[in-house]
Amino acid sequence: MDMPGYYEFCCRVKIISGHDALEKIPDTLAQLNAGRPMIVTDKGVVGAGLIDTVVDAISNGVNIRVIADDVPPDSDLRIVNSLARLYREKGCDSIIAIGGGSVMDTAKGINIIVSEKAENLMLFSGANALKRALRPMIAIPTTAGTGSEVTLVAVIKDHEKHLKMAFVSYFLLPDASIVDSRMTLTLPPAITAATGMDALSHAVEAYTCLAKNPLSDAHALAAIRLISDNLLKVTVNPGDRKGRLGMASAATLAGIAFGNSMVGMVHTLGHSVGSVCGVPHGACMAILLPYGLEYNMHKNGNLTAELLLPIAGAEVYAATPKEERAQSVIDLIRRMNQELYEATGGRHARFFRESLDRKGKEMVPKEKLPDIAETALRDGSIFYNPEDLDYDDFLMVLEAAWEGKPLNTFLIRRG
Amino acid sequence: MYLPEHYEFFCHVKINSGHRALEQIPFELDVLNARKPFVISRKGDSERGLIDVIIDAFKDSEVAIGIFDGVPPDPDLKLIRELFNIYRDRGYDAIIAVGGGPVADTAKVLNIAVSGKPDDIEEYAGEDQIKRPLKPLIIVPTLSGTGYEMSKHVFFGGRAYVSHFLMPNLAVIDPRMTITEDAVSIASTTLVALAHAVEAYTGATKNPLADAYAYSAIQLIMEHLVKVLRDQQYGSGRLALSNAHAMAGCAFSNVASGIAHELGKAMGEVCHMPPGLCMGMLLPHVLEKQMSEGSHNIADLLLPLAGFDAYASMTDNLRARRAVDILYDLLKDLSAVSGGAVSRRWKNAQISEDTLQGIAQRAVVNEVISDADGYVKILREATERR
Repeated sequence: MDMPGYYEFCCRVKIISGHDALEKIPDTLAQLNAGRPMIVTDKGVVGAGLIDTVVDAISNGVNIRVIADDVPPDSDLRIVNSLARLYREKGCDSIIAIGGGSVMDTAKGINIIVSEKAENLMLFSGANALKRALRPMIAIPTTAGTGSEVTLVAVIKDHEKHLKMAFVSYFLLPDASIVDSRMTLTLPPAITAATGMDALSHAVEAYTCLAKNPLSDAHALAAIRLISDNLLKVTVNPGDRKGRLGMASAATLAGIAFGNSMVGMVHTLGHSVGSVCGVPHGACMAILLPYGLEYNMHKNGNLTAELLLPIAGAEVYAATPKEERAQSVIDLIRRMNQELYEATGGRHARFFRESLDRKGKEMVPKEKLPDIAETALRDGSIFYNPEDLDYDDFLMVLEAAWEGKPLNTFLIRRG
Repeated sequence: MYLPEHYEFFCHVKINSGHRALEQIPFELDVLNARKPFVISRKGDSERGLIDVIIDAFKDSEVAIGIFDGVPPDPDLKLIRELFNIYRDRGYDAIIAVGGGPVADTAKVLNIAVSGKPDDIEEYAGEDQIKRPLKPLIIVPTLSGTGYEMSKHVFFGGRAYVSHFLMPNLAVIDPRMTITEDAVSIASTTLVALAHAVEAYTGATKNPLADAYAYSAIQLIMEHLVKVLRDQQYGSGRLALSNAHAMAGCAFSNVASGIAHELGKAMGEVCHMPPGLCMGMLLPHVLEKQMSEGSHNIADLLLPLAGFDAYASMTDNLRARRAVDILYDLLKDLSAVSGGAVSRRWKNAQISEDTLQGIAQRAVVNEVISDADGYVKILREATERR
């Protein structure tokens, strides 16, 4: 590959992966000179019995001071402040975060307050406002998707002031991330499918967007290969421990890839559908991923074409003429969505028209699409997308993704 | 895809690579909470102009740097004590090592000293004896390094120190720093990196994260090494090789060291040859032996060695053979593009049957190799074919 003119790469999270990785936590904490952790998690994780599994695995040797399980689905300043108080009251010396993106973000926020003895978390928002290491933090992801166990960002909402604060610092990387197959064994098929496609979108955008580098590429390729091998398998057969470990590793690899390369329009639009209509992030990614590749094809089709190897294997790659490979990748991702739709009894939506909430109500009414396109214009991730998009372009992509029809390539403006 | 039942991976090193990377150091020091770095380099780097480039990079910053440009090829603990005194007296708070080899070794051991007490250094020898993060360490590699400088290892004054805390916080890879080495030296240092990366990628302790570093390293070396030797002005190729060295060092820190590494190191010491030339010469022979013993990981090596199309164009059972042949071909190409300089070094080495036995024994003592006879055979084949 060509060397980028300039790039940076960093993932100083210790990764411990395996079917019994949780049992390594006491030693890991001891190496970090800690042993009195606060566990930060949410009700869903507790309900799935995962806290019991962790507690069983570590209580010999670790003095768990408190288990805080009230993190809401969107991390929020109020909960960060109240859990930071709890951390101090209980005399904790470290944090173990068990959950998905919101739990990780909340734990990172708590860690800033307790390490910096801060009254106002806001003072540390933005890039590189932190100047020294925080208290030890261990991340245990319970969805094989977000990758936030290996990213340096936290997003925390201030619901009173209607603000969304972003924190970016290498000191926000957890000290260790525990990738244990037991943590995802009970994940329901529809969430398995959506979060797995989230990981795929991280890896694919890392490989095909503008800020790629040799190391993000290598992590992305490995992630894509593991997802192609395992996602459908674990959706159909949730108890497949080997497959679960493969997906968990894939999510971590994809997280490292996009954390060091940024992403593009799939995320831009996904964030916007999420914030306007409340569709879960992974579900948005699954629907939008083929459209992002289609839209950018005239710019990065050569890179998309290469992904046929990790997605479909050597035989298919060799048998497909070079100029057809990029389209094959797009077709195969659509086919993955179709197969996941079938494997989940229709709960994995293939297009936004099909996105339903728990009560069966339509989540993305067609008349909301202009709002979503408007929101997308303000999202920073578009900066790294290969082709430009304005309001009309966003709307065109959204309408196709709502309907479930491929893009009309004649309508894509080539900048 | 191969996924171990259990693995651990840790790479502390952040990589900043490319145009004006050196100018980022003041910002990075600030993030590391340091403001007064101690720059050390080998004797002669000032004459080669490298130190001027470094000084220049700090010109627009508030950071005042100190410079010691006298690290000899064989530094010892006496030097560490001298540098410790300078570091303490002048109030430095971080170390920047320019180059690999003895400079990086000195920097790592100096970091143990300045993070503790200079008299205690040898207490930290051995595996995982360092329990706490050390002071900020930045390495600015030149092509005289092999990537070993990024690793958790240092061998100094007859003692081995192994700890993740010895890895630098940051590798600053700047094209301006890659310009001074000759062809044989570049071939030798890059073959160390290649051997490390290939053995990480094919070894029994491989894992997906170490694989990612190894994969990138192998790919960059295969694409650029011969071209760089052919055209020394090929700047982006030199940058790519320097990146590959760093990546290989990161992979090497997370796997057990391989046979080509151990035998090559022993051979270099016994025969007074650059270790990389020995490792590179042995590598395809070692892989060939492992292939005959049924190793499954060599076929997959063809992907970073030869690229997507070559990999996909053949069936799995042919891939391993092809991968090994590509490594043989690489050695021939290196000899050809260096005008025979590389192969002369191989041919001129005096290697008797007794020497071979000695090398294998030395490697056995390092406890990596149990099958001394098998490895004498590898050494014999490799030296006969050179």
